[in-house]
Amino acid sequence: MLTSATTLVERRTVLTTEYGTHPYEAAWASEALFFVRTEGPHPALTIQPQVSPDGVDWLDRGAPVTLPADRDLVDVDMVRFGTWVRLLLTGATPQEPATVLVRLELKG
Amino acid sequence: MKETLAMALMVHERGLEKFRPLEKVLVHDDFDRGFNGWLDLTPNFVRPGFQSQPSQLDLGSWGPSMISAAPMRFAAGHGSMEGNYSLKLATRPTAREYEQPPAEGAMSTVIKRLSKLDDDHRYIQLEAWYSYTPEQDRWGTGEEDIRAFGLWFDVQDETHRWQPGIRYVNSVNGTKVKRWQYFQVADGVTREQWTGSPEGWEAPGIDAIWCGQRYADGSADGFQWVPDGEQKLVYNESPDKLNWLYMRLLVDLDRREYVEFQSMGRTFDLRGTATTPAPPYDGITGLINPVFFIETDTDRRVFMYLDSVVYSTGREPQA
Repeated sequence: MLTSATTLVERRTVLTTEYGTHPYEAAWASEALFFVRTEGPHPALTIQPQVSPDGVDWLDRGAPVTLPADRDLVDVDMVRFGTWVRLLLTGATPQEPATVLVRLELKG
Repeated sequence: MKETLAMALMVHERGLEKFRPLEKVLVHDDFDRGFNGWLDLTPNFVRPGFQSQPSQLDLGSWGPSMISAAPMRFAAGHGSMEGNYSLKLATRPTAREYEQPPAEGAMSTVIKRLSKLDDDHRYIQLEAWYSYTPEQDRWGTGEEDIRAFGLWFDVQDETHRWQPGIRYVNSVNGTKVKRWQYFQVADGVTREQWTGSPEGWEAPGIDAIWCGQRYADGSADGFQWVPDGEQKLVYNESPDKLNWLYMRLLVDLDRREYVEFQSMGRTFDLRGTATTPAPPYDGITGLINPVFFIETDTDRRVFMYLDSVVYSTGREPQA
């Protein structure tokens, strides 16, 4: 049986600019599935999975995913990552903010 | 003699040599196989739209915990004290002045939700091997960027809710303090002073780590200094060097009093020291939840690593 775990790396975080989610250590896992959920109106968001050698400096990993303004839930999966994972979310502005919950499911 | 040997064997087989448990070990969690049921402490999302009770602080914003191999920026991964993984509490990089209420995300907390079993619960004890460090995102030792950490029990018996606990005040606005406190509310603190709001739902004594006024010397409405409680814990010389430390808190449930607190080789006698009982809350009679926390002193993530935790109960204060 695999070990699995669920966490919310962001809980109703209000975005007004480009935002990297909480750096999360997932070395024990081989699969990661993020769910990005919005509450209320929001602009289209571009969601880029990223990896890091230290939780400080980040590199894009894989293709970005778009959450259109008329949807409130999207998933973003990652495999073959190192220790640190996060999502970089862009598209929110002070004029068009977004409130997001970012859920991370890990399995390995 | 025979019984002593048998007990020693059992202790060895269960990996408890480095703990001092009471007679009944309810929790012995090593985090090499996952979270073991520890989770982030969150508010109650029971209001319309799944909103939580009003509060001065966003209690849903604390940094999420994770299973960590303690990888470092320049050092190799530390693994844990015994094994690969520990449970890591991680704040967000945000803080206010010490005297202000904690910034959203300035803390990280983990809790295990349990309940009282039977009369074995006269004494409860929480033990942990742990370490602490800031993120290595800038030069310097970083020791002064860790504000405080500690542990407590959230308890509700038939008539009261109360939270006995211990806090290490490491640094206040960049000045190292290095003293232990215990959870106890100063006389005369009102609910409004405690929560900062007339609508506050937390009674004085409940959730001291974010409630109550804090003062420039590191004192606070929710805490009292442990007598002779100065102690310089190992921090080491760089944010990417961990040393594993031990702490243990023993509490008397019948008397709602502290018994003793041990940190490394020092044991602080707290017999007869009162806690702060509050009126009972709905729906949680028989609750006993152990909790750990850490708080940052500056705009920098800080981490607490738990290699392993033991929660035990007994009819006597020793096994």
